Amino acid sequence: MTLRKRLSGWLADAALILYFVFALFPIAWMVILSLKPTNQLFSTYFSFSPTLDGYRTVLGDSEGIPFVRFFVNSLVVSLGAVALSLLVGLPAAYASARWRFKGSENLMFTLLSFRFAPELTVIIPLFVLYQKLGLFDTYVGMVWVLQLVTLPLIVWIMRSYFADLTPELEQAALLDGYSRKQAFFKVAIPLVKPGIAAVSLLAFIFAWNNFVFPLILTSNEAQTVTVGALSFLGGDRPKYNLTAAAALVSVVPPLLLALTIQRYLVRGLSFGAVKS
Amino acid sequence: MTELELRDLRKTYSARGRPSVEAVRGIDLTLRSGELLGLLGPSGCGKSTTLRMIAGLETVTGGDILVGGSSVTARPAQQRNIGVAFENYALYPPLTVAENLAFGLKARRRADRGDVDRKVKEIAERVDLTPLLDARPAGLSSGQKQRVSLARALIREPDVLLLDEPLSHLDAAQRDTTRRELKRIQRDLGHTTILVTHDQEEALSLADRIAVMKDGVIQQLGTPYEIYDSPANVFVADFVGEPAINLLPGIADTDAHARLSDTLRIALPVPVTAGRKVIVGIRPEDLALTGADGLPARVVAHEPLLESGIATLALDGVERPLVVLTAPEVRLAHDDRVHVTADPHLTHVFDAETGDSLR
Repeated sequence: MTLRKRLSGWLADAALILYFVFALFPIAWMVILSLKPTNQLFSTYFSFSPTLDGYRTVLGDSEGIPFVRFFVNSLVVSLGAVALSLLVGLPAAYASARWRFKGSENLMFTLLSFRFAPELTVIIPLFVLYQKLGLFDTYVGMVWVLQLVTLPLIVWIMRSYFADLTPELEQAALLDGYSRKQAFFKVAIPLVKPGIAAVSLLAFIFAWNNFVFPLILTSNEAQTVTVGALSFLGGDRPKYNLTAAAALVSVVPPLLLALTIQRYLVRGLSFGAVKS
Repeated sequence: MTELELRDLRKTYSARGRPSVEAVRGIDLTLRSGELLGLLGPSGCGKSTTLRMIAGLETVTGGDILVGGSSVTARPAQQRNIGVAFENYALYPPLTVAENLAFGLKARRRADRGDVDRKVKEIAERVDLTPLLDARPAGLSSGQKQRVSLARALIREPDVLLLDEPLSHLDAAQRDTTRRELKRIQRDLGHTTILVTHDQEEALSLADRIAVMKDGVIQQLGTPYEIYDSPANVFVADFVGEPAINLLPGIADTDAHARLSDTLRIALPVPVTAGRKVIVGIRPEDLALTGADGLPARVVAHEPLLESGIATLALDGVERPLVVLTAPEVRLAHDDRVHVTADPHLTHVFDAETGDSLR
């Protein structure tokens, strides 16, 4: 190896290390913060007596804040939103990939436009509506409103997956005597499984991280972790260590999910089983 | 087996804001039971649309499709019992060859497991796939994929078999063997078959009869020899034959001759009214180089291809070059003077306006 090559290798390593420090520092800061005892919260040096009290308090419901319930709410609402979006979105994506029907492009564009309208522009009318309809602070209401986040994502990404599949596979199935529905479920769906896995994870993360909708449209029963973690900042004294612990706990589900379906993610991104 | 009949079959594509396109403009065809018909034409001539209409994958704008004497036009693809070997094979990647073959049988749920296994083995034997039954499509060569695709279409015992460009993705060596096998399998099983292709060699070697298509209309229907020996118009003459036929514009003269230039005259197979504008067609293989008599020409290029040669000549006073197939021993150099003759019985003459044969 020449000196020049070795030098550029070192430079690349150094740049990577710098980036890791930059990227991981906030997380390290959160971890440190979550391990601090309450009386040492505002010390700026790194020596303190680490304690898991923060986590115990957050998970143990002792501050009067039902964090575990928020956590379960987040799970129910996010999984529910993804499930509903898949149920509605997969057939929609397939239909729009295979057929051009009257208004199909307009419909798809409308769906996409949900993504570029800031949530804050619709949140006040939604709040009023939810109050009137009795959807305020309910699971159904949250799952429903999160469709604005998850449905466009799933429809648009899955549409391109279906478009990449040659229609000949389904046509061959039709000739064999399968119905349209069977061709969809037995031929098309299994081939886009990696895509479904990848897009479901993305949709789950977006739903899980959503802040504005639960902030305005829930109060207690259906509140999620993103809003719930902030409750520890209220009261006479902000408890940053508890907020940090709560935030770190709330990172666990998306992280676990990402790790378990990593295999599909890679396949989902390098999809090309069918020659076209 | 079964007869297939197309009656005035039409397909018009219309989209809002755009002029509608007539892809297929009234096709009449009758295939005898067990016959292999080649549908030959350039891309965009409507041959694939015709195939898809027969399969039921495309709606029919007008006309009728009859399988075994009864109309299937109104039936969806699922109820037509037509087998298609798709151009891209349409094999299901996650399944093995055996599972791919069985997949087609399971839709109707009338065959039990043992029956399915037996049929898979039977068809695999027929098309030489037995050692590959446990392989997955990704691991197969194009020729093997083509055989699986064919087996998949055949396993349901379809009334009619449709082959969509079956050899187009194969390399030259595989093409030869696959072509021979296709022919053997089709003859053994006796399916009424339509082969859609843009490759004349494929059509000529496989088909009992060929329908040459252009612009959604069948230009000529006949055996390979009929198409080659007496093309119905300039398009058919030009499309079939390799190297392509020489087409020289001229003006009909008295005594069954045509004038190609002020000095050159060529004999026609039939007398044509003097003064009529014609196109004289002579295949490169029907021209011969002679010593002294014949049409004088200058050699522009000569490509020696060992078993024969292709000479490009410039006839005196004629703009279009003339291509001649030469014998292997002929040696020609640039600017050599030669004479060339054509047998009038093998010469074709077409009307310059309509392009139709005048023979």
